[in-house]
Amino acid sequence: MTKLLPILAVSLALVRGGTLFLGAYPDSVLVVDEAKGQITDRIHLDTGLPTSLRLSLDRKKIYVTTNDHSGVEVIDVATHKVLNHFVLNTPNKFYRFGGGTPDPKDQVFYTVTTEMNKLADRYEIGKPKYTVIDLAQQKIARTVDIPPKDENANAGGFGFGRGGFDISPDGKYLYQFRDSVVVLDTSDFKVVDRIELSKPDLPGMEAIGFGGQLDSISELGRRVSLFNSSDPIVHNRVFGIATFDLNNRKFDFTPVGPSPAGMAGLQVAPDKKNAFTVIANGTLGNKRCEFWTFDLGTNKITRMVELPCRSRFSFGMSSDGKKLYIYGAGFEIEVYDAATLKYERTWDLNNDITLAGMIVLP
Amino acid sequence: MKHLRAVNKKARRIDDYVSAAKGDVVALQNPPAPPQPRPHIPMGCSLSFSPGWEVDSAGGTAGLCQPVERDIYDCYVTCFWPAQVPDHLNNSADWANKCAAATKDWRNLDLVFP
Repeated sequence: MTKLLPILAVSLALVRGGTLFLGAYPDSVLVVDEAKGQITDRIHLDTGLPTSLRLSLDRKKIYVTTNDHSGVEVIDVATHKVLNHFVLNTPNKFYRFGGGTPDPKDQVFYTVTTEMNKLADRYEIGKPKYTVIDLAQQKIARTVDIPPKDENANAGGFGFGRGGFDISPDGKYLYQFRDSVVVLDTSDFKVVDRIELSKPDLPGMEAIGFGGQLDSISELGRRVSLFNSSDPIVHNRVFGIATFDLNNRKFDFTPVGPSPAGMAGLQVAPDKKNAFTVIANGTLGNKRCEFWTFDLGTNKITRMVELPCRSRFSFGMSSDGKKLYIYGAGFEIEVYDAATLKYERTWDLNNDITLAGMIVLP
Repeated sequence: MKHLRAVNKKARRIDDYVSAAKGDVVALQNPPAPPQPRPHIPMGCSLSFSPGWEVDSAGGTAGLCQPVERDIYDCYVTCFWPAQVPDHLNNSADWANKCAAATKDWRNLDLVFP
């Protein structure tokens, strides 16, 4: 029996998977065991429906924004307990915001909000503003006007798409990965640097382009992402792989080939050797999707396999990088093998998943 | 002469010929469309004129979620189709409180009376 115990321990370690955190309707975060493909816990959110999930820099907390009353909830990853929750709305003042990032010390939350004041005869609608939310005081600490040039990109739509920030490990700079990469100083939100890139036009897909927001496997202070650009003469659209060093604001782009119509972000395997994306060409009934595997050593495509694509979906990867997930617009997660890119199984969560996305932790 | 305008086919062809001669030469180049400024929609609910649940933007059904119930919640939360789906942000926050998976238990969705 004593000889069997180490073997049993090793076997258990092998089958033990990571944990997925998914925003779910109507007011919860689902905790899914990757090994079982089942919900193991359901974290209730007092402030309502989750619209974004964000992992803290130390990976010990998850920041959730909710949209019933413009709330923020902080979840402890280890215990699944809600450590802090509050709403920004008051009876006569409402906010719209979705997504953001905490500072490295977990004291404030950076986002973009739009304020609406309920007056006696009308609503007074404000413009989007850079916003710092004090997590201890549970209120907005300060707002900064957005220059007209950046206003449209921060306006977002339907309460989403705002505040897609990333932060440098020293907390001094905020990065916005949108149609261009904009670097902001956290002290005054002045633009420190701006890298213009063409805006990808990607119909019917989610979490696309410079998607630092859900890139939960990347290294601290480093992001690897896909980018799209076009040349100024004949406007050929080209995609490539971009590496961002958030510490010293250095960017490295490697063009790979002609851009497909849509790309569902880049998922980098934990070994940092391979990365995966889902591309889509065509629209509506002519839409075709493929998995693409990249060798990050040479920045070349090593494998392409077609998959049946949903009308809308998000793309994720398991904690060990061995499985790929297609989820969103429904209650199921389709699991594919990352090595062969073949379909394996479908996990039925029996609960619709929100646009908040997924956080994967080992 | 600017006050003159073509009234028959021949005159219109002459008009097109003259204006084409003044235009730029576009060969194999695909000129980029000028960036369209996005409308400022502050309330969170759209003023979208998308057709609705029955057909997609091309008039077919291939672009819709299959089945369409998969799409209910994302439209409900984002107010994408405020006429077809109750709007979560402003008026019907509790509409889906008893229904976690719309495809399976849509009967539990609440009724909304305008």
